[in-house]
Amino acid sequence: MKIPLFVLAAALTAGELRAQALRPMGSASLVTARVRSEVPAGIDQFTGSAFLGQGALAMGRVALSISYLQGSLNHDGGAAAGRDLVEGTVLLGVRARDWLTLQAGPHARAYTLVGSTQRWLFWELRARAATAFVGSAAQGYAELWRAVAADANVPEPFDHAQGGEVGMIIRLARAPLEGRVGYRIDHAVLGGGTRLETVDGVVIGVGLAWR
Amino acid sequence: MSWGRHAARLGGLTWALVAAPSALRAQSSDSVFAAGVRAYKSLEFDLAAWLLRRDLAKGSAAGAPVAARAEGLVYLGAAELFRGRRDSAVAAFQRLVMLDPRYRPSRLVFPPEVTSLFDGVRLETKTVTVEVPRDTTMTPGPDAFGIWIIASSFQLVDVTLRYEDGAPFRSLYLGPIGDSLKVHWDGLDAAGALPPVNRVLLRVASRVPSGALAGIVQLPLELRLFRPDTLPWPSPPADTQFLPERAMSGTARRALLGGVVLSGAVAALPALVGGTDTPSGPRIAVAGTIGLAGLLGYVLHRPGRPLAANVRANQTLRDAWRRRVATTTAENARRRQDVRVVVRAGEPTTIQPRGP
Repeated sequence: MKIPLFVLAAALTAGELRAQALRPMGSASLVTARVRSEVPAGIDQFTGSAFLGQGALAMGRVALSISYLQGSLNHDGGAAAGRDLVEGTVLLGVRARDWLTLQAGPHARAYTLVGSTQRWLFWELRARAATAFVGSAAQGYAELWRAVAADANVPEPFDHAQGGEVGMIIRLARAPLEGRVGYRIDHAVLGGGTRLETVDGVVIGVGLAWR
Repeated sequence: MSWGRHAARLGGLTWALVAAPSALRAQSSDSVFAAGVRAYKSLEFDLAAWLLRRDLAKGSAAGAPVAARAEGLVYLGAAELFRGRRDSAVAAFQRLVMLDPRYRPSRLVFPPEVTSLFDGVRLETKTVTVEVPRDTTMTPGPDAFGIWIIASSFQLVDVTLRYEDGAPFRSLYLGPIGDSLKVHWDGLDAAGALPPVNRVLLRVASRVPSGALAGIVQLPLELRLFRPDTLPWPSPPADTQFLPERAMSGTARRALLGGVVLSGAVAALPALVGGTDTPSGPRIAVAGTIGLAGLLGYVLHRPGRPLAANVRANQTLRDAWRRRVATTTAENARRRQDVRVVVRAGEPTTIQPRGP
């Protein structure tokens, strides 16, 4: 799976890597996260806030982006213990059009439970469309992803998973500073629907991007 | 003694009549002149006069240089004087003065009888020569065109420019002249305007102190006005160079439509990815924020809103064009005033008044 993606990226970016300047970007966001696990025995729902840090390094049409999220979630409506949430992605992307970027890479998530850690690993394909819609100051974006493979230390076998994020980035005219607000959600189905995992939340953050 | 001298003269004349013609046919005009001078120096004045008159006749017909003809005339005058023909000598000297008023016989070559007679003739003969450059390009104004007038002796001159039919065009000078005088023409007519014709006559009339006309020297002046070309007007900026000064409806529509589509996408995202029972509050907040941004964008970019930056850019473009027009206007005004008059002088002619 990884080799064809690499070949696709190389084919799309051939001849463009030379004489291209590196363009870094980074952002810090506050995420209001909600995790909902629906199993035959019942529904567990946790909410809390988390810190999300993202960074990317672009050269020409190619970009390597990473993200790290960490936060504490509390159980809704009960005395059950909370859990810590840690999540990270490493994605290699290619800008196929000015407004369209295709990405691929691993997406890992871990819940720290009492005495154990629940780990998830998704291999994802992502498509992100972004374009300015209020002059050049406000850019809207929509991102959808789907897991092509996954590994989780839960009893149910993996079935499928997908997610997405929609939001808006406000850019200042002459400064690299930008603000961001968005909504994200991902949904995993395991065991033929016997286990449903949904994680969603609102993202509010600021970032620096050199264009 | 007297008989012997007459015999010698007769012999020389006989030789000149019989032997000389066949020899002279093969000689050039210079040789005739030289023979005349030799005869003069040998005191053969009859022969000298005959030879010099013959040489002058040839020279006049062939358009010989003034200097050569003047030398011939002074020797002729001297020879006639020593032949005892004072009237002929005076006539030769008058021709000489008319030919070249500046001529003065050498006092080392000619005896005082000759030079004093010549001076007397020169003082009595009122004539001038006119010297102007062959081709002149001038800017009309004071001292633009200089005319040198050289007089044979003190006299009154009337320097005028005239139309071809003789009517006055411009009076340049009226008054006495001693040796020489420089008269200026500013290139304009009597009214101070540029010449309306392309040919005028420069006429210098010489008068004796009593006012009687002594002679006229006249030469044609061909005139041509030269006006520099003016610059073409700078073309105004093309319509494509101007930016729109009012906001188009596209930007506002895009903002409104983008806000609606993104808000809808936020609201529909859980259903799209299969999420169940997701709380709507945070999503609606995000969707509302994006929708509000779109609405704000519509207001900010509403159709018809003045675009100050574009208005300034267009004004700068118009100002630059106006500056170019002003520069061209000033340059063309300068060029219209920068008229040159080209003058080409013709050959002078001398007009002698008829005797009483």
